[in-house]
Amino acid sequence: MPYWYYDKKDLQNTPSFRDAISTDTENRYRKEGARFIIDTGSKMDLGYNTVATGVVYFHRFYMFHSFRTFPRYITACCCLFLAGKVEETPKKCKDIIKVAKSLLTEQKFASFGDDPKEEVMTLERILLQTIKFDLQVEHPYGYLLKYAKCLKGDKAKLQKMVQMAWTFVNDSLCTTLCLQWEPEVIAVALMFLAGKLSKFEVLDWNGRNPKHNAWWDMFVEDITMELLEDICHQVLDLYSPQPQSSGGDSPPAPPVSKQPKNDKKPPSITPPTSVSPIAVVTSKPVLTPMKNGADLKIEPPKIEPIRYTYPAYPGLAAPYPPPVYSAPPPALPPPPRLALGGPPPPALVYTEPPPAPPPRFPPVNVPPPNYFPPPLPGRGPPPPGPPPRPYYPPP
Amino acid sequence: MSGASTSHSPPQMASITDVSGLFQNAKKYEELNVIGTGAYGTVYKARDLHNGGNIVAMKKVKVALTEDGIPLSTLREIALLRQLEAYRHPNIVRLLDVCHGGQSLERDSQLVLFLVFEHVDQDLESFLKRSLSPLSQNTIRSMSFDILSGIDFLHSHRIVHRDLKPHNLLVTSSGRVKLADFGLAKTYDTDMKLTSVVVTLWYRPPEVLLGTSYNTAVDVWSAGCVLAQLHTRKPLLPGASDSDQLHEIFRLIGRPSRQEWPENVSIMLDSFPAYQAQDLAEVLPRIHPHALELIKGMLIFDPAKRLTALDCLEHPYFTDEPLT
Repeated sequence: MPYWYYDKKDLQNTPSFRDAISTDTENRYRKEGARFIIDTGSKMDLGYNTVATGVVYFHRFYMFHSFRTFPRYITACCCLFLAGKVEETPKKCKDIIKVAKSLLTEQKFASFGDDPKEEVMTLERILLQTIKFDLQVEHPYGYLLKYAKCLKGDKAKLQKMVQMAWTFVNDSLCTTLCLQWEPEVIAVALMFLAGKLSKFEVLDWNGRNPKHNAWWDMFVEDITMELLEDICHQVLDLYSPQPQSSGGDSPPAPPVSKQPKNDKKPPSITPPTSVSPIAVVTSKPVLTPMKNGADLKIEPPKIEPIRYTYPAYPGLAAPYPPPVYSAPPPALPPPPRLALGGPPPPALVYTEPPPAPPPRFPPVNVPPPNYFPPPLPGRGPPPPGPPPRPYYPPP
Repeated sequence: MSGASTSHSPPQMASITDVSGLFQNAKKYEELNVIGTGAYGTVYKARDLHNGGNIVAMKKVKVALTEDGIPLSTLREIALLRQLEAYRHPNIVRLLDVCHGGQSLERDSQLVLFLVFEHVDQDLESFLKRSLSPLSQNTIRSMSFDILSGIDFLHSHRIVHRDLKPHNLLVTSSGRVKLADFGLAKTYDTDMKLTSVVVTLWYRPPEVLLGTSYNTAVDVWSAGCVLAQLHTRKPLLPGASDSDQLHEIFRLIGRPSRQEWPENVSIMLDSFPAYQAQDLAEVLPRIHPHALELIKGMLIFDPAKRLTALDCLEHPYFTDEPLT
């Protein structure tokens, strides 16, 4: 069975890197491709699961191929097209291409060739072979909601924290985190980050036992503070000033503000001492830059906030929400899609969760499950697919 | 996507069609010989050239392409099979790889899919043929439990096998049974019209033969026929045609009552003689009373009243004494 998790060395030595594309450029291509899938998907009212699945295909694809061989925007279209079918939210290929054309410059759309649909069809087979037909992908969203259900504390604050974590998960699609860690681990880390930033301290949780030091010990073994910080920093890096991508498809000028992704941590966030930059942040206002010590600077999304409004946080109603095929929440202004250098984007706005989604599958005549996957080790084999029912008994 | 002008030309891009040739799997597996041809495609014995020449079973399935590429139903089913594999259930044959035959020369409307499974030397059909004496009670009980565990696993993942029979049950060298040849039911459905292979009817439940809607209970019926066969080493209901198979069934379990007869069935109840139920103990002599009771519960006409696979696993036949 294919294994889809890579260490940082593998993430550096990619086919693109071996094809003389710098790591920074590759990461920018990945980010642009992911963002494009998100934008195209949200414009077509595709749910967050479909979009996230498409992005994961995209990242996996470029662990085997170079961005030089396969232009990113047509690959992105193909990933979204395939994800639509796998997640049972199919969109016609020609419709995806139509939307893609509306979002891309003429020059970028030129990479789709003379017969874009035929190119996507051919690419579909290459994509399937590359991702080894491993089509079912799990995402952190469901885990976020599951974990949140167990946490005790002020309900409004909890809600706010989960909403923030949800947004971080959306944005994390633009990083290679899905190639490094299982969705459970990403969900823990980004909930942890949201907790710090929204001042929601988790003191108690359902199912707590004396062996637990933190709530996540209940769900994932061996999560270290170092690991949590590493994941949080990879997401927070998205919000730090980026080199302008005016160079189009060519590598950008050497970045001044950003260290290569595969370095441990950008110095702007790392404090000089061994003090944990995240763990010490406990009492600063939400969504404002925080300082705790001279060099510590965590930049929450306000710096360059979410440039798209999708996907909406569906609320805590169901443990495994199905894709929501709704338009972006009405409370939000239209997303300033091409906001690079434009007016300051709106701050994070959260909307009311939509009503509880219906169960994903109609009930069938099956006995209760007897087979539960083993507990997830810190970094073991890939977790099994979503079980038909929750792994853990409800609290 | 910034609207900024792009001043540099993009790097040299190879055309997608140029590189698609790289993805032919011809070099990955070497076909050795045909193991079986069924309604659902051909199974080859093959050598996995990337894995030290391991012997695998490679199933070739032709998928009709639609205007929008590979059909959604096929993709869903492959996704599910892949997902199941993560559980590594001991009574399910391992799915090792899925690949396709790549782009064919003419722009044709079908894609050849290869499902690569672990290769198990013998199936239950040949196992039963080869055994010269009746199987021991322990062997029968352990094999019955394996079969039902595999079925229960599939059912708990919303998969109906639909074609359980000794030929699809593999027997490992240590005597464990594994289910094979499940999944892609929707894909097969469209494909089956193209083939004229005779499919064995002996394990078909009445609801399938009558053409009414069916669910997971079909597999329990088939398993009931197989369990009975473990005791006698002979098929329980060897019908010669669709209608003959129904006669065989009703001769054994009795003609259903008028209330039990499903609606919207083209076949009339009265087209069958008023068969009385036979005593299953006479058909399966010297059988353990628990085993007899279990098989009776699996061969009930009404799918809703039939035992579920989980019911079967919790039957005293398996729980009274520990399995060896």
